[in-house]
Amino acid sequence: MLAIATRGLVKHYGSVEALRGLDLEVESGSVTGFLGPNGAGKTTTIRLVLDLIRPTSGVVEVFGRSPRGAADLRRRIGYLPGEPALPDVTAGEYLGYLGRLRGRVDPGPLAARFGLDLSRSMATLSRGNKQKVALVQAFMHEPELYVLDEPTSGLDPLLQQEFRALVRERVADGATVFLSSHVLAEVETLTTRVAIVRAGVVVDVDDVDTLRRRAGQEVEITFAAPVPADVLAVPGVTDVEVTGTTARLLLHGEADPLLRAVTPWHVVHLRAQDRELEDLFMEFYR
Amino acid sequence: MTAYLLGTRRRAMLWWTVAIAAVAAMYTAFYPVIGGMQIEGMLESFPDAVLVALGWDAFTSGAGYVNATVFSLVGAVLTLTCGIGAGARLIAGEEERGLLELELAAPVSRGAVYWHRIATLWVFLLGPAGGVLLVVGVLDPVLSLEIPVGHLVAATVALWLFAGAIGTVTYAIGAITGRRAHALAAGSGLAVASYLLAYLGPLAELDWMTNLSPYWWYVGDRPLLNGADWVGMAALVVLGALAATAGIAGFVRRDTNV
Ligand SMILES: Nc1ncnc2c1ncn2[C@@H]1O[C@H](COP(=O)(O)OP(=O)(O)O)[C@@H](O)[C@H]1O
Ligand SMILES: [Mg+2]
Repeated sequence: MLAIATRGLVKHYGSVEALRGLDLEVESGSVTGFLGPNGAGKTTTIRLVLDLIRPTSGVVEVFGRSPRGAADLRRRIGYLPGEPALPDVTAGEYLGYLGRLRGRVDPGPLAARFGLDLSRSMATLSRGNKQKVALVQAFMHEPELYVLDEPTSGLDPLLQQEFRALVRERVADGATVFLSSHVLAEVETLTTRVAIVRAGVVVDVDDVDTLRRRAGQEVEITFAAPVPADVLAVPGVTDVEVTGTTARLLLHGEADPLLRAVTPWHVVHLRAQDRELEDLFMEFYR
Repeated sequence: MTAYLLGTRRRAMLWWTVAIAAVAAMYTAFYPVIGGMQIEGMLESFPDAVLVALGWDAFTSGAGYVNATVFSLVGAVLTLTCGIGAGARLIAGEEERGLLELELAAPVSRGAVYWHRIATLWVFLLGPAGGVLLVVGVLDPVLSLEIPVGHLVAATVALWLFAGAIGTVTYAIGAITGRRAHALAAGSGLAVASYLLAYLGPLAELDWMTNLSPYWWYVGDRPLLNGADWVGMAALVVLGALAATAGIAGFVRRDTNV
């Protein structure tokens, strides 16, 4: 079952082509990251899912149905906008109102968990507290699908931790999470699958482990004495840089060929680490 | 939904009601000074058509005076300002500030968002209109204005319908375009045009001009003197209904928050 599906989704704002045939599938029960640089079309896609805007062409489906005019479909969605704007009433009044629009949802417990004072006017709330209001409204009705637009950008570390814990709980209960970000590190800890979007099309979809494997490892080998450069010319090794007795390289795939190649030499020190997904992510933008 | 929307505007509603009531009271209270015989000499210097257009030819009775000052002028302008302001804010203004987003993302239809706001607009306008009714009703016996209660109620209802209809046009343009400035321009443009048509029509002796003016529909027949103008009120209702219908048709179709 797909929680979200788009096929050939196109959205123009006047002459701006925000989406140019976006294909995306978000499996029910998955935690899918939606990654791309600013202006890639993440917010546009999310707003199409919520029927805030309408496609120029192509298909968008939520739980197998078009979101167009389907108010009841939104009952099953929790939405965190990228830049939430809040009216000049108390947090309690506003959350109470949004709760009533969703049935008889009580924001109290979640507000308490986040330490949000419901009696204060939102005009006087700090940035952090406003973010709490936005988070509470997205999570308070325990929906099946969370659509979160850059949820962690600007959250203070403590709130980020609480947010992650909450997401994990809901995922454990079977919810689907679709969250966008322009920084991979932000979603890496939460998501299992990642769709990479660039200039209005999805350029890659993979699980985070595969992405990480594809990203390869950064290896640093220090020899007792300088070695000939062709020693490191083995399958899977690229970007070799030798300075004195130290060689730095990128390793994709199995480590065995490299290890066999260096065994005849006196290896003093060996360091290998997974590449930051960020680096791989950057490769898609080039 | 309407309850919440009104609740968040209760202070503004109270303010408008108090302000309009105060102005209405001030003008009405001057009747013994300005109204009656004293003013007749001054009015003679105006051409008859202008006097008719301004409603000042009937200044000499309490009903004529209150009709000309409160209902034709200050009360109308203030209630209308209130209606146009609220109409422009209710969708377009909120949308421009991003305040509609979470509501539209909730399990409510665009139609519900739209109609509850129209209801809010009309209930909101009960404040100012009610303020005028109350003030004139209370001052009537005190100042011996001798306005029949039925006429006062009819004139107040017409005032409410007038501000409501033009407020609805404002609101509908805001709902269709999502731009507060467009809504304000449409609402105030229509208000000014209505007044000009009603003012120039009698001067130019062109009936079609007066017949096209919502201002004339409201007060042209002087409901305070002559009782309810059913045709005029019906025309205002039709204007509001047409605008509302056009507004919802545009609002359900378009992109929001763009
Ligand atoms: N309301 C709008 N009017 C015109 N262009 C827009 C509008 N919203 C977004 N865009 C453009 O569409 C593209 C995609 O924007 P967006 O979906 O917000 O990207 P992201 O969320 O990935 O940063 C960008 O080029 C942006 O400038
Ligand atoms: Mg965005």
